[in-house]
Amino acid sequence: MKIHVRSVLLTLAALAALGAVGAGAVVGFGLYNVSARVGHWPGVSWILNTTFRNSAALRAPAADTVPELTDAMAALGARHYDTACRVCHAAPGQEKTATTRAMVPEPPHITEAVQTWSPAELHWIVDEGVKMSGMPYWPADRPDEVWPVVAFLMEVKAGMTGQRYDRLAGRDDGRAPEGFAYCASCHGATGAAGNPDIPRLDILSQTYMTQSLAAYLSGARGSGIMAQAASEAPEGALPGYARRFAAIAPAGERAPPTSLGAAGEAIAMAGVPGSDVPACAACHGPWPEPLDPAYPSLSGQYRPYLEAQLRLWRDGARGGTRVAGLMHEAARRLSDADIAAVSAWYAGRAPARIPSDRARPAPGEGDAPGPRSRRPSPDQGRSR
Amino acid sequence: MTRRAAAALCLLSLLALAACTGPQSALDPAGRDSATLSRLFWFMLAGAAVLWAAMNGLMFYAWRVDPRPMSVRGARTLIFAGGVVLPTVVLSGLLGYGLSIMPDQRAPGDGLRVEVTGEQWWFRVDYWPDGAAEPIRSANELVLPVGSRSEITLKADQVIHSFWLPSLGGKTDMIPGRVNRMSLEPTDVGEFRGQCAEFCGESHAWMAFTAKTLSPDDFAAWLTAEAAPAAPPRTDLARSGRDAFMAQGCGGCHAIRGTPARGQVGPDLTHLGSRLNLAAGALEVTRPDLIAWITDPSAIKPAARMPAYDHLDTGTIAAMAAYLEGLR
Repeated sequence: MKIHVRSVLLTLAALAALGAVGAGAVVGFGLYNVSARVGHWPGVSWILNTTFRNSAALRAPAADTVPELTDAMAALGARHYDTACRVCHAAPGQEKTATTRAMVPEPPHITEAVQTWSPAELHWIVDEGVKMSGMPYWPADRPDEVWPVVAFLMEVKAGMTGQRYDRLAGRDDGRAPEGFAYCASCHGATGAAGNPDIPRLDILSQTYMTQSLAAYLSGARGSGIMAQAASEAPEGALPGYARRFAAIAPAGERAPPTSLGAAGEAIAMAGVPGSDVPACAACHGPWPEPLDPAYPSLSGQYRPYLEAQLRLWRDGARGGTRVAGLMHEAARRLSDADIAAVSAWYAGRAPARIPSDRARPAPGEGDAPGPRSRRPSPDQGRSR
Repeated sequence: MTRRAAAALCLLSLLALAACTGPQSALDPAGRDSATLSRLFWFMLAGAAVLWAAMNGLMFYAWRVDPRPMSVRGARTLIFAGGVVLPTVVLSGLLGYGLSIMPDQRAPGDGLRVEVTGEQWWFRVDYWPDGAAEPIRSANELVLPVGSRSEITLKADQVIHSFWLPSLGGKTDMIPGRVNRMSLEPTDVGEFRGQCAEFCGESHAWMAFTAKTLSPDDFAAWLTAEAAPAAPPRTDLARSGRDAFMAQGCGGCHAIRGTPARGQVGPDLTHLGSRLNLAAGALEVTRPDLIAWITDPSAIKPAARMPAYDHLDTGTIAAMAAYLEGLR
């Protein structure tokens, strides 16, 4: 049989045109039924699910990048899980809601969801999210923040009771805390919860906390955990929380001096000679004169938190308020050893705020707004 | 080219002669070394003029006066004499002369000792008077006494710079991890300009300094004043500027002797108000320039290390400028 090339090509072109018209009709006239009640055609769920599992396994970070997953991290992860993830995946000791069960695809209960995954794979899934499944990605570019959630999930995988979950998540009477108690469930009612991964707030000024909360809300300071927490708060409530934490008198003793701390003191007081690292104390105290309250006090802050933040600053990943540019320049040349030393020294100091009131204290404020009034930052007072 | 166009070009080229004088000219020497270098330049220029005239004379002779071919023997002699003997003699003479003036250029300074460090993009200047345990630190300005040979130690922080003060002497590279030296002996009192002469990054062109030469008595008085702590602010505005300077963390990078500010990352500001330039020659020490600099340094010097303080309100920055301007 003789094949006519021209006839074959014309037939193929006609079929392609017909296919395009058909596909256009499906999209344009709504011929495909998107009803979740009807669900997928046979086999489609299997294809989507298998693709997801293989994709996550392929892209997960290497196993040796998994940090030590501590109880303190799991406690932080549990509290974040409770506000951000529980609504879909329920929690140990709880059933999924009827509405959640009607989602397509149906989000698995957390005790089932974690079963087959390694810590690295869980990190990838929580950080990246899963397209077309409703699973969101981490709402900030902060892979370091995902590990506490992974620590919590690994505890769930090992078997977690409902009572243990409620205790970890701060649901003392089985209900999620609200208002200031919501902040206090992580940061402690005294502003210092003792969890080294959660910063203590009793040493911070109202100005600094108000500006930082606005920065979390606007995304200027990237943090999936705090962006979620700040967006959970009732509109306009954030400055009030800052005022309440700022009214707490910092409590605590200084730690016994260490040789690492002594090295850190030298850096904090005089910078790193020959390396263009300025003295931390000029902004963060101790300093013989009042300082602008837009700069946070570091005295008594938890060491792992300080180290994590300094690494973010050094690597350029740390956003913040309008003064963030100063810290990017200051931290540029810090080595890991410098960070460890200076964090150890500040963590060992007695918890204290920085005196910031000069001759003219602002009426009705916990701390004065610096020596002169500051231009309000654009992200301040922003309502969501 | 028409005759008129040629004349215009000649007149225009006269404009270039304006660069032969002024505060940054090797042809307007104010020091022993620059005078030597200047003499060398004129000597070589004169020699070059003679050679140029001789070459053109020969060409004119061969082309117009006696265009007949030379004998092979004569031509060989001429090529050997003009192409081998003459350059050897002239270049050897020049080399000998050049080498003979080098020891003077590198003579050890027996007077003041100054250490200049090239930073990105400014000059750290430390004066070490006899027997001093600590330097008297300044920046972007070199003050030297007339009539004695000062020893200049040259260092660099991160990248290679070059120290060049044409009115007083030659240039010497500043190399990280290495200590170079030179010496300068100013002969005239005056104010001069120096410049980094080695490409060192984005703001290389904005890395300059001023130099002042003083009589020995004036210099001694200046050094005593420079060693003193900073003057306290006199006006309310300057006082509030001082408070803001201390509250905003400026002391982490800058030192103002006599205050808690002891930072060594950026220039020492103890006597900033008496200096002839701001920001390594990019600006002057006036209030508007100080305000512009504090507000956004990298808008004036690309990639300047000092961060912008445009988050402060203009009143605070103006007060800081008033304080800094008063640091005489």
